[in-house]
Amino acid sequence: MLGRLKRRLRALLHKRAMERELDEELRYHLEREIERNLADGMNSEEARFAALRSFGGVEQAKEQCREARGVRLIEDLWKDLRYGARMLLKQPGFTLVAVVTLALGIGVNTAIFSVVNGVLLKSLPFPEPERLVVLSETSKDVPDMSVAYPNYLDWRAQQTVFENMAARMPAGGVLTGDGEAERITGRWVTASFFPTLGVHPQVGRFFTDEEDRPGAERVIVLNNGLWQRLFGGDPQVIGRVLQYNSESWTIIGVMPAAFDFYGQNNLNNDFFIPLNRLSDQEYMLDRSSHPIEVTARLRPGVRLEQGSTELRAIAARLSGQFPESNSGNGVNLRLLLDDYVGDVRPALLMLTVAVALVLLIACANIANLLLARAAARQREIALRMALGAGRWRIVRQLLTESVLLAIAGGTLGLLLGAWGVSLLVKLDPEGLPRVENISLDGRALGFTLLVTLLTGIVFGLVPALATSKANLNDALKEGSLRSSGGASGWRLRATLVVGQVALSLMLLVGSGLLVKSFWQLMQVDPGFDAQGVLTLRLRLPDAKYREAAQTTAFLKEVSRRVEALPGVQGVSVTTGFPFGRAGENGYWVEGDPEPRRPGDWAVANTQSVDENYHKSLGITLLNGRYFAARDTADSPQVAIVDDEFVGRHFPNSSPGDVLGKRLRFGGEGEPWREIVGVVRHVRQNNLDEESHPGIYRPWTQINPKSVADFTRAMDLVVKTSGKPVNLVAPIRREVQAVDKNQPLGNVRTLEDLMARSIAPRRFSLLLLGVFAGIALLLGAVGLYGVLSYVVTQRTREIGIRIALGARTRDVLNLVIKYGMTMALTGVAVGLVAAFALTRLMQSLLFEVSATDPLTFVLIALLLLAVALLACYLPARRAAKVDPLIALRHE
Amino acid sequence: MKKQKKADLLQGTLELLVLRLLRSGSLNGWDIMQRIQIVSGEVLSVTPGALYPALHRLEERGLVSAVWGVSENNRQAKFYELTAAGRKQLEAERATWERFTGAVAAILRDA
Repeated sequence: MLGRLKRRLRALLHKRAMERELDEELRYHLEREIERNLADGMNSEEARFAALRSFGGVEQAKEQCREARGVRLIEDLWKDLRYGARMLLKQPGFTLVAVVTLALGIGVNTAIFSVVNGVLLKSLPFPEPERLVVLSETSKDVPDMSVAYPNYLDWRAQQTVFENMAARMPAGGVLTGDGEAERITGRWVTASFFPTLGVHPQVGRFFTDEEDRPGAERVIVLNNGLWQRLFGGDPQVIGRVLQYNSESWTIIGVMPAAFDFYGQNNLNNDFFIPLNRLSDQEYMLDRSSHPIEVTARLRPGVRLEQGSTELRAIAARLSGQFPESNSGNGVNLRLLLDDYVGDVRPALLMLTVAVALVLLIACANIANLLLARAAARQREIALRMALGAGRWRIVRQLLTESVLLAIAGGTLGLLLGAWGVSLLVKLDPEGLPRVENISLDGRALGFTLLVTLLTGIVFGLVPALATSKANLNDALKEGSLRSSGGASGWRLRATLVVGQVALSLMLLVGSGLLVKSFWQLMQVDPGFDAQGVLTLRLRLPDAKYREAAQTTAFLKEVSRRVEALPGVQGVSVTTGFPFGRAGENGYWVEGDPEPRRPGDWAVANTQSVDENYHKSLGITLLNGRYFAARDTADSPQVAIVDDEFVGRHFPNSSPGDVLGKRLRFGGEGEPWREIVGVVRHVRQNNLDEESHPGIYRPWTQINPKSVADFTRAMDLVVKTSGKPVNLVAPIRREVQAVDKNQPLGNVRTLEDLMARSIAPRRFSLLLLGVFAGIALLLGAVGLYGVLSYVVTQRTREIGIRIALGARTRDVLNLVIKYGMTMALTGVAVGLVAAFALTRLMQSLLFEVSATDPLTFVLIALLLLAVALLACYLPARRAAKVDPLIALRHE
Repeated sequence: MKKQKKADLLQGTLELLVLRLLRSGSLNGWDIMQRIQIVSGEVLSVTPGALYPALHRLEERGLVSAVWGVSENNRQAKFYELTAAGRKQLEAERATWERFTGAVAAILRDA
């Protein structure tokens, strides 16, 4: 073993000496042979000739001797690399096209892989994250909802599959202190929240079960961000007191800086306070109120399905036990990671497929270029084979060249990918979770390297095999006739072009479907006018605004002052607005059977609004009246419904007939309300989602028991005539003139909120559009390249045709027909493949069938038009061939 | 392609012959070629194109080693000699070969 290594090393290092020895050895043999021939009586000329003849090919023998020594592979590789680099540099045009094509193909793959890696593959920043699950409740109508606190307690008590379970709920309020009042948001969490996730405090400690119950001393854990912002990261902060919602909270700990639960940039990320403090509150004890989210950690070795089975059994028991609230309710378990990324998975998978197709197209393109080039290199290769190179040796050399090309393309592609990744992260597309995880890390680098090498082999192997197969004699002969690689070579090239066209078509159809979806989405009438509307949240602290009279006075005064500001066309105080905060409520229309169980109630989007709401948002009144100042707590109870409501409950009446009918909301003590107006239906959360019917009530007529709770968190909707942002500062001044400790929360324009709701679609549309564009370009270049090559190769034939009287049109037709045959075949294949593949993207489409005929036809026509252009250019060149020059061509 | 395959078939036998010839002492390529011809009574002949690569392969596998020495006609020549591993390999292959030819001979004689 050691000896062999030594010999190999020697062979590598003393290549010259080894070569000399080989020469010497063989020369000795020849001389002995000659000597013997001379002894046999030949003259010296004859003796030499006979010796050489009996020896056979001296060069071949040498080559085989070199081969016999193991160093060949390394040595050849180095030689091939140098040779390959020389060949590539000798043809800068070809090399440039190939490298740029590859860089595009590899670059988009690197970028998209980085995204997929960061979003889907990287594990969550908790110990053993695969054991973390999310639990939600399900009902007959709602597949996925928050959890009722008593149900959480029962699950927790009866289950055996979890190591730990935790509940949480958004918290938010006003922080007052030395500086200006500030609105902060955090989470109510159970003490079990921290051990469930497996986090440890950066400073101080987390709260205990003792501190996590009603009446315990108020303690608060800060998130790193708030700690840095308020205290500059001072560890002496433990024991200090924060004034939050006008109550004193003692700081006991700080979360680690790396703590990231549903994204660092998420709301509710400033602090953590004990959830079980609220366990005696009415809405927590009510099984039909669903305020909390539940996370749990599976015991080691317990699978998700086992957990699901057990929890479902518990939920079924609870349904039987509490039919009033739980009948028909179940429970749904999923991995925390799936909950993070659920929505984007289909879009990312689609993009992954798209970039893979782009790379395939790029490979086909380069394979074709290589084939064309290989035809021109037939003679060189034939010569090398004649000199003793085996077929495998030639394939190896050609593959080295293509891998070299791939590495150049991959390097450029990596730069392109890095740029793409940083661009994507900077765009921070709405709806893409875990963006902060996206980076070009080691895994992405490894992926790129792998893809690069594979690419080099994929596009290089077919041409290499095809080229090295060539029969020696034929190649040398054919080469002399400037022929072009034979019929099989042509078939191969045509197949590659057809494949390219087909792949491009698939990508184009995919993006065409997305474009049409987007177009359809833009056509959706939201039912309101978002232009110039500014929205903001007013959250009044409980301790200071205990009574409804206080909140009402505050809201009326703010509303009056803001309305007086120049540039304000209307102001409304409301519990929510479309694309902002939505409220859902069960209701019962008089005359329908009385609802007995929770599932019997119809569900409506409900907002409690003032008399200016519909006017400010431009929601059209179809019949009856808007609310008015005369609708007060003491006046008759009223409601406004929308046409969706009318269609659902009174399908055969006109809106006018509904006026005077009565309905009531679910909940104790809710009164019957008379319908006084019918307005246009409004999309609540999304343009692409049908929403429940809308029912409005005046917020002055909210149940007196809860009006104070409701009105402590209201939204201000301001219709402006100019730029909404210009009004933020004046509005803040007016609000703080009423209460100087009152900050503004969630300041947004309605247009911005709507744009955000479609941002994920816009994002995937943009990316797929770019990829399809690249595909189209590459496909067209491929077609153009092959046809140009055909024209060059057949110049002589074309010249003869022209000389024999063919007209320009005949020549154009000849070339275009040839090209369009390939294009049409590609389109046909692509349509079939797209038909099969686009079904997979159904969930990404809106009001467009995955096999929408119009899109398929238009895209096919677009592709054929581009193909025609790609054919026309070489065809025109062919038509301009001068027969005299063409015939002298050889 | 086809030519290659034929060479592969011969390779094992040629190597066995070379190893056997080297058992009695070191030889150079020319000597080996002559001896194969003479000892086999001109029945077997081998071309240098096959012999030298075979020698280099054997050297590469460590079955023979090579030294430069002075030949009978007083010139520098490369002499091959059997290594210990080569000796072992020879015994093994020779046994295999004899079993094989014995079996073939038995069938030819008796069947």
